[in-house]
Amino acid sequence: MIEINNLGHQVPVGEQSLTLLQNISLQINQGESAAIIGRSGSGKTTLLGLMAGLDLPSEGEIRLDGQLISTMDEDARARFRAQRVGFVFQSFQLLPALSALENVMLPLELAQVESPTDRAKTLLERVGLGDRMQHTPRQLSGGEQQRVAIARAYAVDPLILFADEPTGNLDTHTGQMITDLLMQINHEQNTTLVMVTHDERLAARCSRHFEIDGGRLSEQNA
Amino acid sequence: MRQSWQLALRDLRSRQVKVMLAALLIAVTTVAGIQLFASGLQQTLMTSASEFLAADRQLRSRNSEPVAEEIYQQAESLNLRTARMTTFSTMLSHDDEFQLVAVKAVTDDYPLLGELEWQTSADAEPQTSTSGPPVGEAWLSPRLSRLLSVEPDDSVQIGEKSLKVTGLILQEPDNGLNFSALAPRLLMHHDDVAATGVIQPGSRVNHRALFAGEPEALASLNAWLAPHLQSDYRWRDVRDGDTLSGSLEKAERFLLLGGSLAVLLAVVAIAVASREYAQGQRDQVALLKTLGQTGRQIARTYLSRLVIWGALACIAGLVLALGFAHVLMWMASAVLERSLAFDFRLWSVWPAVVTVMVALMLFAYPPIAQLRHTPAMRVLRSLPATVSRSFFTQIAVAIVAVFGLLYVYVGDALLIGALLLGLLVLTGALWLSGRILLRLMSYCAQGSGVFNMALRNMWRHRQATLSQICVFALTVMLAAVLLLTRSSLLADWQAQLPEDTPNHFLLNISERSLPAVENFLEENTLSRSDLYPIVRGRLTRINDKAVTEVLENHAEIGALNRELSLTAAQTLPTENQIIRGEWFDQTETAGLSIESSLAERLNVGLGDKLGFQVGEQTFSEEITSIRSLEWDSLRPNFYIIFAEEGPLNSLPRTWLTAFFLPPDDKAVLDDFVREFPTISILEIDHIIEQVQNIIQQVTRAVEAILLMVLLAAMAVMVAVVSATISERQREGALMRTLGAQQKLLTRTTVTEFVLIGLIAGLFGVLAAEAVVWILQYRLFEADFRWHPEIIVSLPVITALLLALLGRWQLQPVLSVSPMRLLRRLE
Repeated sequence: MIEINNLGHQVPVGEQSLTLLQNISLQINQGESAAIIGRSGSGKTTLLGLMAGLDLPSEGEIRLDGQLISTMDEDARARFRAQRVGFVFQSFQLLPALSALENVMLPLELAQVESPTDRAKTLLERVGLGDRMQHTPRQLSGGEQQRVAIARAYAVDPLILFADEPTGNLDTHTGQMITDLLMQINHEQNTTLVMVTHDERLAARCSRHFEIDGGRLSEQNA
Repeated sequence: MRQSWQLALRDLRSRQVKVMLAALLIAVTTVAGIQLFASGLQQTLMTSASEFLAADRQLRSRNSEPVAEEIYQQAESLNLRTARMTTFSTMLSHDDEFQLVAVKAVTDDYPLLGELEWQTSADAEPQTSTSGPPVGEAWLSPRLSRLLSVEPDDSVQIGEKSLKVTGLILQEPDNGLNFSALAPRLLMHHDDVAATGVIQPGSRVNHRALFAGEPEALASLNAWLAPHLQSDYRWRDVRDGDTLSGSLEKAERFLLLGGSLAVLLAVVAIAVASREYAQGQRDQVALLKTLGQTGRQIARTYLSRLVIWGALACIAGLVLALGFAHVLMWMASAVLERSLAFDFRLWSVWPAVVTVMVALMLFAYPPIAQLRHTPAMRVLRSLPATVSRSFFTQIAVAIVAVFGLLYVYVGDALLIGALLLGLLVLTGALWLSGRILLRLMSYCAQGSGVFNMALRNMWRHRQATLSQICVFALTVMLAAVLLLTRSSLLADWQAQLPEDTPNHFLLNISERSLPAVENFLEENTLSRSDLYPIVRGRLTRINDKAVTEVLENHAEIGALNRELSLTAAQTLPTENQIIRGEWFDQTETAGLSIESSLAERLNVGLGDKLGFQVGEQTFSEEITSIRSLEWDSLRPNFYIIFAEEGPLNSLPRTWLTAFFLPPDDKAVLDDFVREFPTISILEIDHIIEQVQNIIQQVTRAVEAILLMVLLAAMAVMVAVVSATISERQREGALMRTLGAQQKLLTRTTVTEFVLIGLIAGLFGVLAAEAVVWILQYRLFEADFRWHPEIIVSLPVITALLLALLGRWQLQPVLSVSPMRLLRRLE
C-alpha cells in the first residue's frame, strides 16, 4: 500500500541546506496501522507530509496504492488525496465558520460525491455527534472537534489515513476515547493508518512501530 | 508610557494593524487633501468669479445719489482697494449724427479685478488693460463706432464735453447680463462726468463703488455698512444674480459632498479593520488576564495604543495630504492655465484631525474596548464572542457622530439626513435582501462544480459574505452617488449653455422691418430662436386699486418703479415651469402669466387682477398662471406674459429675438447694422464664452475630486478584502490538504468574488439611484432619470475588481506547498 525507497529530504537554510530525512525505506501493507515516534524536531511530521504527498521529497520515491506520487505534479497529488487519503490533525483544523456537518461535507464535495449530506450525517452519527451536526467548532469541546475531524477524515472512504498527533491536544480520557474511535473505524474500513505520535499508549495500539531519530528511520519490533 | 509606545510599535507588525493604519492614513490623506485642494480651488474660483464684478464686492446706490465719501474712507482704512463707476444713458453726437449710448464712467483703478479687452482701431490687435481711457478720452463699442462712422482720433460730443476716441472697447469683465444695457457702450473717465453737464438733479443715473481686498476686510466693511444697506445701498458679491453664481454654488456643494463621502468611506474601512484586529487579539487578552491583568488595565493598554496609532496616522496623513494637495493643485493649475493660490494654514485641516479622532474613538475603539470582557477561560478553550448590549448604543452614537462631522462639512442637515437615512435603510435592506438572495442561491447549489461550490461557500460563510456585500455595496453606492451627481451637474451646466446658445439678441425690431430681418437671417443661414412681441408698460394696479395703496413697500419693488417689458407667447418659453394654474389654451385671449418671485413680492395669486398702463392706455387681466424661471439662463426672461391673442395685440409693439452667430462670422453684424440702423443688438457672445470657460474649469476640478473619491473607494475595498485574508488562506490551505486542486480553488474564489461584486454592485447602484433621486430635488433641482449605463457597468467593474483582489490574496495559498501552509497555521 505504502512503499518508500531511499527517501531523502533537505531544506535550504540561508545558503546551506539542512538534511531533515535521509535514506528512508519502508513498506506498509493494506489494513496495517503504523506509528512513527520520535523526539520533537526529529522529522516525524516532515515524513508524514511527504508520504501524504503534501510536499515533494528531495530524493527517493514514494508509492501509494501502487502509484508513484513523488513524481506527480501538485494537482495530480491533490486529486489523489481527494479520493484516497484522509487526515487527522493535532489541532483539528476545522473551518470555524462551518457547522460540523458542513466540515464533514467538504472533502465529499471536493471528491464530487453524490448526496454528500447523507453520507456526512451518517458519519457524524457514527462518531456520536448526531445531535450536534449544526454546531460550529466554537460550540464544540476539543474531543468533539476531533471526532468531527475523524468523521471528515473517513468521509471519502480513504485507503490511507494519516494522523498527526491526533490526541496531542486532548486530555488522557478524551484521548483514549479518540484512540478507540480511530482504531475502531480503521478496523471496520480496513484502512491503512499512519500515525505520528508522542503518546506511547497510542503507539502501542498500532501493529507496526517506527522510530525516527536524526532523520533516520528504524523499525522496532512490537 | 514607554511600554505603551513599545507595544504600539510592536503591534505595527500585525497585519490587521497595518490595514487599520493604512485605512486611517488613506482617510486622513484623502480628507485633508481634498480639503486643502478644495479650499485652494474655491479661492481661485471665487477670484475668477470676482472678475465678473470687476471687484470682490460692489456697492450700488439705490437712488441717484453718489456713494457717500465716508464709505470710501472706511474702505480705505480697511486697506481695501476702491474704484468708482457711474453709468447713465445719454445722446452721443458725431458729425450731426446722434445715437443713444450707455455710458460707463470709471476711475483709473477700474477694473479692480479682471481686465478690459480693447483695440486702438478696428484693424488693430486686441489688447488687454487694467484701466480704462484717461481723462479727455473715450472708448466706443465697435457697433457704436460703426453706427456713427467714428474713426480713431475723431471727437465725439457728450452734453457739453468733447471726448477724443482712442479705442474700441471689446470686453468688460463686469459686462453682466443686464438686459437694460441695450444701447451701445461708451467708456470714459469718471473725472469727465461733471464737465458733460448731463447729470442733473432727477437724472436717471447709477452710482457704484467697487471694492477688492482681504475677505476679512470685506466682511468688516459689510458689517459697518449694514445699517445703510436696506435703504440706500445694495451690496453685491459674486454670488448675487450672475450666471456663474449658481454654477459656483453647485461646484462648492459637490466638492463638499465629495469630501463627506471620503469620510464615510474612511470610517467604514477603519471599523472593518479594527473589528478584525480585536478578533485577533482575544487570545492575547485572555492570556494577559490569566497572567493577572485587570479588564481596566487591558482597556487602558489598548486605548493608549489607539492614541499612538492615531497620532502617527494623523502626522503621516497630513504630510501626505500636503504633497497630495500640491500635486492636485499643480495638475489643476496646468489644466486651468493659471496658478492656484495655495494657502496652507494648520487650522484649516482641523476637520481632518477631528475625523481621525472620531473615527478612532467611535469606530476603531468599540470593538477593541470589548476585549476587556474576553473571558480568561479562552486560554483553555475557544469561546464564541459575545455581542455586548452596548453594541447598538455604540452604533447609534457613531451615526450621530458621523452626522455631526458631515454637518461640519456640508452644513445642510436635510441633505446629510437624507444621505444617512439612505445609508441606514440601505444597510438594513441589504442585509435582509442579501440574506434572502444567498439562501435562494444555496438552494440552487445542488451538485458539484465550481459555481455550485462558490454558492455553497457563500452561504456557509454567510455572515462574512453579507458583511462584505454590505460594505462593498455602500462603497459602490457612495462612489456612484458622486459619479451620478457629477454627471447630472455637468449635464445641467452643459444644457444651460449648449454650443449653439443664441449669443446675439435683436431688440426694437419694428413690425414693419420684421419680414426683412427674417430674410436677412435666412440669407446668412442664421437660425433665430423664439420671437417675442415687446410692449413697454408699467404695472400700476392690483385688483383695481393703485399699487401705492395696496403695497406699503411699493418703493422697494423694482418692477413697480420702472417700465416692464411685457410680452405675449403661445407656448411656454424654454426653462419656464408652471408652478400654479395653467398655461394659455391656443384660442385663449384673456389672462396673464406672472413670474413666481414677483407674484410673491406683490402678494398676489391666481385670480388676482393686475392693471397696466402703456402710454395713455390702461388695461387689466387676471392671473391665470404662475411661472418659475432661470434668471441666469442667458435667454430672454419675462415677468409678465400675456396670451398671444391677448391685449398686447392692439398696442404698438416691437419684437425681440435672438440668434447664434459663430465667432468667425462677426462681420455679418456690420451688414446688419448698416441695413437696420434702428435695431439694437445685444452681443453676449463674450459673456457666454467666459461662462463656458469657467464651467469647463469647474468641470475639471470636479473630475479631479471624483477621481480621488474613487481611489478612496478602491482603497476601502482593498482594506476589506485584505481583512478576510487570514481566514481565506487558512481555508485554502486546508482545502488543498484535503485534495482541492489549485484550479478549483482559484476558480471558486474568483467566482465567489465575482458574485459578491455583482450583487454588491447592483445593490449599491440601485441604492445610489434612490439617493440621487432625493439629492436631485434638494441639490440640483433637476429631473430624475435612470442611468442604465451605470447600473450595468458599475456592478461589472466591481465584480472584476474584486475578482482580481481575490485572486491576488489567494496567491500565497497557491504558491506554497500545503505542508508549509499547515505548519504555518499550527
